[in-house]
Amino acid sequence: MRALLAFMKKEWMEQIRSGRLVILTIIFVLLGIMNPAIAKLTPWLLEMMSDTLAESGMIFNSVTVDAMSSWGQFFKNLPMGLIIFILLESSIFTREYQSGTLVLALTKGLERHKVVLAKAMVLTFLWTVYYWSCFAITYGYNEYFWDNAVAKNLLFSVICWWLFGLWAVMLAVFFSTIAKSNISVLAGTGGVAFATYLISLLPKVKRYSPSVLMDGNSLIYGLEDVQAYTVAIIVTVILCVVCLALSIPALNKKRI
Amino acid sequence: MLQITNLKKRFGDKEVISGLNLAVPEHSIFGFIGKNGAGKTTTMKMVLGLLKPDEGEITVAGEKVLYGQTVTNRHIGYLPDVPEYYSFMTAPEYLTFCGEITGMNKNEIIERRRELLELVGLGDEKHRIKGFSRGMKQRLGIAQALLNRPKLLICDEPTSALDPVGRKEILDILLKVREQTTVLFSTHILSDVERICTDIAFLNDGVISMQGKLSDIKAGYRTEEYWLETEKERDAQVLINTFEDCRQIENNKLVLREKDNTIYDVLNYVTNNRIPLLKLERKEPSLESLFMEVVER
Repeated sequence: MRALLAFMKKEWMEQIRSGRLVILTIIFVLLGIMNPAIAKLTPWLLEMMSDTLAESGMIFNSVTVDAMSSWGQFFKNLPMGLIIFILLESSIFTREYQSGTLVLALTKGLERHKVVLAKAMVLTFLWTVYYWSCFAITYGYNEYFWDNAVAKNLLFSVICWWLFGLWAVMLAVFFSTIAKSNISVLAGTGGVAFATYLISLLPKVKRYSPSVLMDGNSLIYGLEDVQAYTVAIIVTVILCVVCLALSIPALNKKRI
Repeated sequence: MLQITNLKKRFGDKEVISGLNLAVPEHSIFGFIGKNGAGKTTTMKMVLGLLKPDEGEITVAGEKVLYGQTVTNRHIGYLPDVPEYYSFMTAPEYLTFCGEITGMNKNEIIERRRELLELVGLGDEKHRIKGFSRGMKQRLGIAQALLNRPKLLICDEPTSALDPVGRKEILDILLKVREQTTVLFSTHILSDVERICTDIAFLNDGVISMQGKLSDIKAGYRTEEYWLETEKERDAQVLINTFEDCRQIENNKLVLREKDNTIYDVLNYVTNNRIPLLKLERKEPSLESLFMEVVER
């Protein structure tokens, strides 16, 4: 237990001193501010361009924006946040293989599964904090400018998206234990995520795919029922556990 | 302390270690000598459970070494040839981290950390490891390896990449820690071995071709060498042609590998033919000649 905590402390120190904590905090805060800002600025932008647009034959009467436009932006911008997060954290294992820093820790008797657990826990914690900060900022602005009550199933839809992000993180952990370079980690994680997206295009198996969890818009507009997501949630939770469970024997077998 | 029996390891179709036997006695400074690429690091990694042996058994302090998760590592302090640390930490932070993952308690860590940083001369170092020189990294490496008072300290070529001052510092530290632990270190720098080792083993072609106490090996190595310098180059030629144990090193310099008192025959020949000599010197058997002999055999 103490070894696990010590390794987590080291991971945390690394996040701070490498500057990744600051960069990712800035990014997720900016994303949080950007969602309501874009929604707020849309009518003004259209007005600015209305003359030019009128010349080309497009006429706008008036555009009304509300919290829904901002939440629409939220779900549209989240993939970018997740991709940047995975991109910056994809070398969390591979950096240690390449530099050989794990050798000393392991020869001191640190058990390998603790390396996996410590890193997975730190990543989960970071993803959760970044994600919910971004959410809280958007929520705050939306409440101030408009009214969040118009969005249906809001909490449920953002929990679904958070869960999808968590699965992506676990995928990255799993690929980190089998790959040697962070490029392979990115390719593996991106490849699997893309595959689930392709699966979700097939109507028959759509409800099993984790990537339906990203479709928060259908939920907040009330186009989809909460029950329609149940299977995907169960599948995603199972996949998270499977990824983590496979990572441990994978790292045990790895030559370091 | 460490016992290796019939160890074998191949990479692809190349057999690196082919039936290695080695015994390291307690409280010795054991020099593990071999050419570059002889398999020293491979052997050490197998002792640490970082590589899986194809055959054979390794025991540390009587316990068998298993690949992957090995409990025997709690007896071992390891210093790799190029130690890599978390460069964003300072030396005391790194030692604290090491102490915590080995399960030492807080006060023990603080005390041991101060003691070891003092021993390796990093007591006043406040900078992050990022800015450390090679010598400083090696010294920190010894400190981290000794942290939990291991019974066996394994150093992989600790002096190879260092300048003479750095080398002397490391060797002095290794000498100092002998009372606390057994030291096994690999090297190809023979002067280091002669300076501090009590026991040695030569690794060649995947097997140990010679091992024992350094003094015994040197005493038991009977062949002696004579260096002979003649005034004229022509005379040197004549001697080479007459005595097959003579080898030429320079124009008028010869080296004679002594067997069956050949030196007296040579001296006889010199006297009879009135060959003027500049110099005749008896060479002490050195590790270098031993090493060459082992490698050439």
